[in-house]
Amino acid sequence: MADFKVSFHENGNVVILALAGTLDLHTTPELEKAFTQLINAKKYNVVVNFEDLAYISSAGLGVFMAYIETMRDNNGDIKFSNMSSKIYNIFDLLGFPLLYEFYKEEKEAVQKFSESN
Amino acid sequence: MQIQLFDLKKTKHLEKIFLSAIIMLLWKLFFPTEDNLVYLLIGESFVVATFYFSYLYFKDFLQNKRLNSLTLVLNAGILASVIFFIFIALEPILSLITNSIPIGFFSSVEKIILSFLLLILSAYIFTILRTLFFLKQKRSPRFYFNIMLVFIAITSFYSNVLVFAEGTDYIFNALLVVTIILIVINSIRIPWIAFLSKKEKLYLLGISVALAILFSVLSSYSTPHGANEFLATFSPTLKTFLGILMIYGAIFFGIVFFITLFHLPTADAFDRKALEVSSLMNMSKLITQVFDMKELADTVTDITTQVCNSDSAWLALKENGNLTLVSAKNIGYIEADRMIKNLNYMIDLNAIKNVSVFSNDESPDVMPEGYCYLAISPLKVHNQIKGYLMTGRKFDNVFDEDEQKAINSFADYSAIAIENSKLLAESLEKERLEKELELARDVQYKILPHQTPQVECIDISALFIPAFEVGGDYYDFFKIGENKIGFIIADVSGKGISAAFIMAEVKGIFGSLSKMIISPREVLIKANEILKESLDKRSFVTAVYGFIDVTEGTVHLSRGGHSPILLVRDGFVQQLKPGGIGLGLNYSSTFTGSIEEIQIKMKEDDILVFFTDGIPEAKNADDEEYGQERFERVILNNRNEDTGTISKHIIQEVTTFAQGYPQHDDITLVIFKWKKNKNLGEV
Repeated sequence: MADFKVSFHENGNVVILALAGTLDLHTTPELEKAFTQLINAKKYNVVVNFEDLAYISSAGLGVFMAYIETMRDNNGDIKFSNMSSKIYNIFDLLGFPLLYEFYKEEKEAVQKFSESN
Repeated sequence: MQIQLFDLKKTKHLEKIFLSAIIMLLWKLFFPTEDNLVYLLIGESFVVATFYFSYLYFKDFLQNKRLNSLTLVLNAGILASVIFFIFIALEPILSLITNSIPIGFFSSVEKIILSFLLLILSAYIFTILRTLFFLKQKRSPRFYFNIMLVFIAITSFYSNVLVFAEGTDYIFNALLVVTIILIVINSIRIPWIAFLSKKEKLYLLGISVALAILFSVLSSYSTPHGANEFLATFSPTLKTFLGILMIYGAIFFGIVFFITLFHLPTADAFDRKALEVSSLMNMSKLITQVFDMKELADTVTDITTQVCNSDSAWLALKENGNLTLVSAKNIGYIEADRMIKNLNYMIDLNAIKNVSVFSNDESPDVMPEGYCYLAISPLKVHNQIKGYLMTGRKFDNVFDEDEQKAINSFADYSAIAIENSKLLAESLEKERLEKELELARDVQYKILPHQTPQVECIDISALFIPAFEVGGDYYDFFKIGENKIGFIIADVSGKGISAAFIMAEVKGIFGSLSKMIISPREVLIKANEILKESLDKRSFVTAVYGFIDVTEGTVHLSRGGHSPILLVRDGFVQQLKPGGIGLGLNYSSTFTGSIEEIQIKMKEDDILVFFTDGIPEAKNADDEEYGQERFERVILNNRNEDTGTISKHIIQEVTTFAQGYPQHDDITLVIFKWKKNKNLGEV
């Protein structure tokens, strides 16, 4: 079974979640745990860095859908960055770009938060 | 087979006994003389033969019965009593026999029958003593025993010599003394006594003293002018042997008495150890058989109180960080529960890594009321504490080292059992999930159409290959009016029974919407609205919905987050990707605004391919995806075939590619191909 890893780091009032490995039905609980922690800590500005993510399944996509509302209700957001074209294609087919913000670089996404605040 | 052989051997022994006994009895009847040495020796050899065969028979008999030591002792006692009865009750008759001169025929017969009876009895007693001697012997003491036998035989036989060589009493006496010494030596080691329980030892103590006295009395009858004098006229050897046998019995049981006496003080400890060993054996059996944790816990507390001599025992398991009482023996549940809570509050239970004993003197606040000592042992699995086994003692006697060890091993066994029952529950859960998947698979098959619609100018094929875990693929066709055929291909996110339920709902939604709304865009928007009620936050449905207008030769369709549609025309593959968000991702105007609708005018030989991501995302053993490119190439290569052949080739290639890697998602493939028709457009 492929590995999955979430690592956190903060940039100002933005938390960056860097994903690595395979995000599927078996590994989603780990990402869910990460989001729950963020919500408990009242950190609602999140950038998800996809640079090292190799694969995402529909269950993986569901995690973002599950938490986006809470973030936005608290004036926060989940923004995506550093996606490979393969992963982006999956998000794109589903129409995510109409609902979420995608950025090439993590920095841009972080900057977007400071602009809007 | 073996039993039969054994029985055969036994019957042979019995036959030999009868044969030699009859010869012996006849011989004695007709040659009752004791004056002729030759006659006497012949008679004696018959006696010895009969004795030997009886011994062989009884030996097999005892081995076959596998009697325990106490039963053997009891048997010896009963036989000795019979001999005693013969000597005492029949004494008047016996003296008559002995003193009747001249010897009458009837008295002679009586004498011979009694002698024969004694011969058989002595053979049986001898066999019992021999069996008792060899019982539980670790090293084979056969050598000393055989020397003893030789001396018994020589001494017995020497009594014959005495008859003819008078004045050699001292030789006989010397032989007797050596024999008795050998008997004593051989009787000192009696290992089986140690293995008896305390109750059995007490019982043996009583029996052995009675038997020692009985045999002593009997041996006194065998003195030169004793009650069994009549035997001497029958067979001097037998008479002497019987005497020695009685001495042997007296010595043996006397020693048994003393050894048992010495073993008594340690009987309790031995009993406890034996109980501990047997409990551990029972528990290891239970662990593999009992899957009910409660039952096992009850056994553990029960055994703990018995083996550790404690007044009560209780077992608590850690569940979600809290200690929950599972079993309590000789103590109320409420009291035990209160005690555990108190302990948990007073001391750091996590610090207890091994069995620990608390006493009322040192830590009275920890101690439950009325208890003097408390032993706590953690239930450890992989160095994690799963619970505690506790046992309390009300009398003032600290748990000794053995008892602590016993508590520890019971705790260990409980820990293993808990782990086992957990594993079992997991495998049951897995089985349940597999059942669920099977059910979901059934639902899926029932939902999918059983045949493709038959249209004159369009060649339609549809194919569905389920993955091991049920995915949420769905496709269907709807007849709309006379000239239109609605179609849908969808993929419900998630797996198993929940996906199957959504799928069933999707079928219902599109089935009815197709009858009410023509526009595919409107259908998707309405379907999204309806699905809002049943989809949870993290689930979504991707779909392509459309209809074929057979009369117009057009296809109208909309896409909601689904894989693109492939149009094969003039040797090229074109990806059709009208805008549209997946159903369930958004319920606002964003969704409504995102859905586009396209209309395609079909030409002859045009092919439309609808699929789910199971095809391009099929993986091989190197974790490489099949991909869109390979997929389009195989379609192009087979574009001149009919749709059935095209999909066959696609599936063949995908399965060949993914060989050795489990199919992780459903595969659905729907292909339309336009045949020559007057209504088709001419571009």
